[in-house]
Amino acid sequence: MSGSLAQRASRAQASARQDGRRSTTDSPLAIGIAMVLLIIAAVYFLVPIYWLVVNATKTQPDLIGSNGFLFSTWNLGRNLSDLFSRSDGIFLRWGLNSLLYAGLGAAVGTFLSAMAGYALAKYSFRGREALFTLILGGVLVPATALALPLFLIFARVGLTDTYWSVFLPSVVSPFGVYLSRIFAAASVPDELIDAARLDGASEWRVFVTVGLRLMSPALVTIFLFQFVVIWNNFLLPLIMLRSSELWPITYGLFSWQSQVSRDPSLQILTVTGSLVSVIPLIVTFLALQRYWQAGLTAGSDR
Amino acid sequence: MYRRTLTAALAAVPLVLLSACGGGGDDADGGSGSAAACEPSGEDVELTFVTWVPGMDQVVELWNQKNPDIQVTVQETPAGNAGTYNNLFNGLEAGTSPDLSQIEYDSLSSFRLQDGLTDISACPGVADAEGQFADWTWQQTKLGDDGVYAIPQDSGPMALYYRKDLFDQAGITTPPTTWDAYYEAAKQLKQATGAYITHFPQADANWFTGLLWQRGASLFELDGDQVRVTVDSPEAQEVAQYWQRMIDEDLVATNLQGFSPELYAAWTNGSVASWPSAAWGYSTIRDNAASTTGKWAVADLPQWAEGDQAAGNWGGSTTAVLSSSDHPAEAAEFALWLNTDPEALALENELGGLYPAATAGADLPALEQGIEFYGGQTIFDVFNAAAGEVDTDFTWGPTMTDTYTAMSDGFTDALNGQGTLVDTLTAAESASRESLEAQGVPVAD
Amino acid sequence: MATVIEPATADPSAGAPARRRTGRPGRSNRAWIGFVLPFLVPFVLFYVVPICYAIGQSLTKTERTGGIFGEATTRFAGLEQYGRVFSDPGFREGVGRVLLFGVVQVPVMLGFALLLALLLDSTAARLNRFFRIAYFLPYAIPGVIAALMWAFLYSPQLSPIVKALDDGGIGIDFLGSGTILWSIANVVTWTYTGYNMLIIFAALQAIPQSVYEAAKVDGAGALRTAWSIKVPLVLPALVLTAVFSIIGTLQLFTEPVVFRAISTNVPSDFTPNLLAFNTASANNYPLAAAMSVVLALATFILSSTFLRSTSKRAGL
Repeated sequence: MSGSLAQRASRAQASARQDGRRSTTDSPLAIGIAMVLLIIAAVYFLVPIYWLVVNATKTQPDLIGSNGFLFSTWNLGRNLSDLFSRSDGIFLRWGLNSLLYAGLGAAVGTFLSAMAGYALAKYSFRGREALFTLILGGVLVPATALALPLFLIFARVGLTDTYWSVFLPSVVSPFGVYLSRIFAAASVPDELIDAARLDGASEWRVFVTVGLRLMSPALVTIFLFQFVVIWNNFLLPLIMLRSSELWPITYGLFSWQSQVSRDPSLQILTVTGSLVSVIPLIVTFLALQRYWQAGLTAGSDR
Repeated sequence: MYRRTLTAALAAVPLVLLSACGGGGDDADGGSGSAAACEPSGEDVELTFVTWVPGMDQVVELWNQKNPDIQVTVQETPAGNAGTYNNLFNGLEAGTSPDLSQIEYDSLSSFRLQDGLTDISACPGVADAEGQFADWTWQQTKLGDDGVYAIPQDSGPMALYYRKDLFDQAGITTPPTTWDAYYEAAKQLKQATGAYITHFPQADANWFTGLLWQRGASLFELDGDQVRVTVDSPEAQEVAQYWQRMIDEDLVATNLQGFSPELYAAWTNGSVASWPSAAWGYSTIRDNAASTTGKWAVADLPQWAEGDQAAGNWGGSTTAVLSSSDHPAEAAEFALWLNTDPEALALENELGGLYPAATAGADLPALEQGIEFYGGQTIFDVFNAAAGEVDTDFTWGPTMTDTYTAMSDGFTDALNGQGTLVDTLTAAESASRESLEAQGVPVAD
Repeated sequence: MATVIEPATADPSAGAPARRRTGRPGRSNRAWIGFVLPFLVPFVLFYVVPICYAIGQSLTKTERTGGIFGEATTRFAGLEQYGRVFSDPGFREGVGRVLLFGVVQVPVMLGFALLLALLLDSTAARLNRFFRIAYFLPYAIPGVIAALMWAFLYSPQLSPIVKALDDGGIGIDFLGSGTILWSIANVVTWTYTGYNMLIIFAALQAIPQSVYEAAKVDGAGALRTAWSIKVPLVLPALVLTAVFSIIGTLQLFTEPVVFRAISTNVPSDFTPNLLAFNTASANNYPLAAAMSVVLALATFILSSTFLRSTSKRAGL
């Protein structure tokens, strides 16, 4: 029975357009239960963030000595000025580095992925599946397996401890290619490509005017996810970089944390720094919300 | 569907990968540092120096002002075992590393094994500097032969930090002078105040090693062309059995990691009452349990036999000239200045909390004063005395990382009642052998 | 940990677009090279070459001549290092631990994500936007920072949660030897549930209204609609989130590293990835490389087996 329902569902799906949201007639009780569950889940997800906000405002002794969920002596201003003045403002530098690695890296990476994914979806050539397979295999490789040999190779060409050593590997996203291929196949109709070609457009122009345009909501999604992956990357900078002026923010915070036993004032700075460092990410996500939520469904709007 | 594509595609991954990896091949590396002639080049040089001592950049700035022809750039990194050694080792493997680096005593041997150190014994001023440092620290830099592979920076002679108020409360009026007395004190303290006498940190294998050092239980012997592993020596077992009894009888806290906020909270609320630790630890307590000011005091480390004066050492670093440096003479000159110049030593002590390895450091004004946090006690008198008693023969192995790892993994089990500290020594002994063999080092039976 | 966005209504022809190619082959056949190359070159340099390098390294060992600090040479050693990997009880235990972790954590997380997605999908409340963002927020927090925050919330001495539980008569040591694995699982769940929830939610939103009309004709209630229609339709999305969660589980690294600093119960071989990293730290590159290769192979076998078995059973 469920099989037939599902079958009918997919048949209907094939013909229907997405329209207004459903209204399954639910009892108030069911809605009430649903709301309670949703609120409990929200508390679970927000409590640690609340903790971070509260404790970023405290003094070092209060961080250890006062209740973690309650505000104590308000010291946020002092923490912030300490944070940004420590070691000649290195924190800001780390933040800009992270923006550079993640922002530019994700932008370049998304573009490369889009091209490759588009080609894999829209051109047929010998060895295409083998190539796709090889790229997908990249998703499976553990980060440690990659980072160490990469360091040794980079060292031979003198690239370690440079911006490039973190930036270059970051632009490669096999996963982005995988997504691009799906999105290109789903959202770029062959008819449009052919029509553009008949108009005499070059292959590049077809890609830019038809491919990129139709894939754009999906590309925002790919961009954002790659942005987060690079922003959160910890192992690669750990292995590649020695000079603190090249570090991204996560590694910088980690290094402060590792010095806490020698200099306890770093503890509160780590907490405040953590809060400050997640703000750009949250802002980016909120600002681009419309796009990435559209991107998530892009493949299915047909 | 896509999933089927994915399934099929994944199935082919190994094949494609294998064919994508054409040939290969590796080349030999290695080669030993030599005590070749060491002369300054006479030109302007630039050096890079890796360190994780807070404030070291200011000390170096002082040097740079005085030595326009030898300019040093500081790279501040996370602590050695928190990633920096890794990075340096990788750099050695690949042939890119800084000129100088802070390296802890226990890791010197590992660096030498990876061909990472320069023998600076022939560099100007180095040979004459021997007398300026505590005996054992200089001994450590020789690594069993006639070379000098680093300049001692600071050391960590050990003593007992204890909560005087809690000890008094438990009726312990004089600090325990022997480990047996310490054990009795632990029982009294637990009964009277509910506090643990100390914590047994799972990750601080080098803390435990400091205690082995005091007992004269050297972990290794460099025996001619072979390494002898003595991790599981009778002396070491005695120390292990002692602490095992403390664990078994629930006299030490087993769930507190060293240098963790939990530990600091335990110090603050009085549930842990003492810490056998190094000279540099005075600021750890002062800064992390600030509200207990005036309640702490420092005493000699308890002895294994009444009347002994054996001291242990925990931590401390050297400044080493790495093998990749093109300017060993200038680098050695800087390293010597950094660790003997009174002005530099004073700054390092003030900003970085270092207890200098240079004997002149004992005369630093800051180390002669009474410390308010410790009730005005001149605590460095205790450490100065200990520094003179540290066994000079204690030897680290060239694969200490693995030895430490095996130890702290064993501690995990022992602290959970799934093994004992004696088992830990046995495991650490065999792990050390294996890792030496993996490095191709000849091991004596 | 990466995951995938899978359209609920996948295009059946995407796997083989070749059938539909109608363009002029003479021109387009070469054009793909220009599109693929800019990705392929860095891919080969930064993925394929290092992997080959690691494989090569795993087949070697170090020998030394001339005493303790003598000259080291690298020799071909065949599969010797692999023998060592498989006979290392620490490695086996670590693999067992992450498998246990995966078997419990992945279903719990995805079940949780599915539940939240279904709830959000069937309630039209205005608050939904807020909920979506609240659930997704943890994903934006770097693993290092997430682990640091939770470390404070787990701390027996500092955590207000532990204190509250204690006052309520429940004494839990989140960092104990029996609990630490699940405390780490909680951090991972906290971080990635919202992300997976969004993917499933997007798939749900893509189900057109007419499907529900069909269900109504059949007289299906809300629960039954959810179970018989929605879940089967988002199954592809679920399977893919599962695959990538499995991959992430086997590579567990950051959280154990951070928890090592506060708990006495995270040994150096807690997870295979941590062990490989620590082995490399001890300068045993050949062994570390062999571990990484074994780990990559295991990841591949697991994820492809999972894919194959689910695709058969689900009849997709």
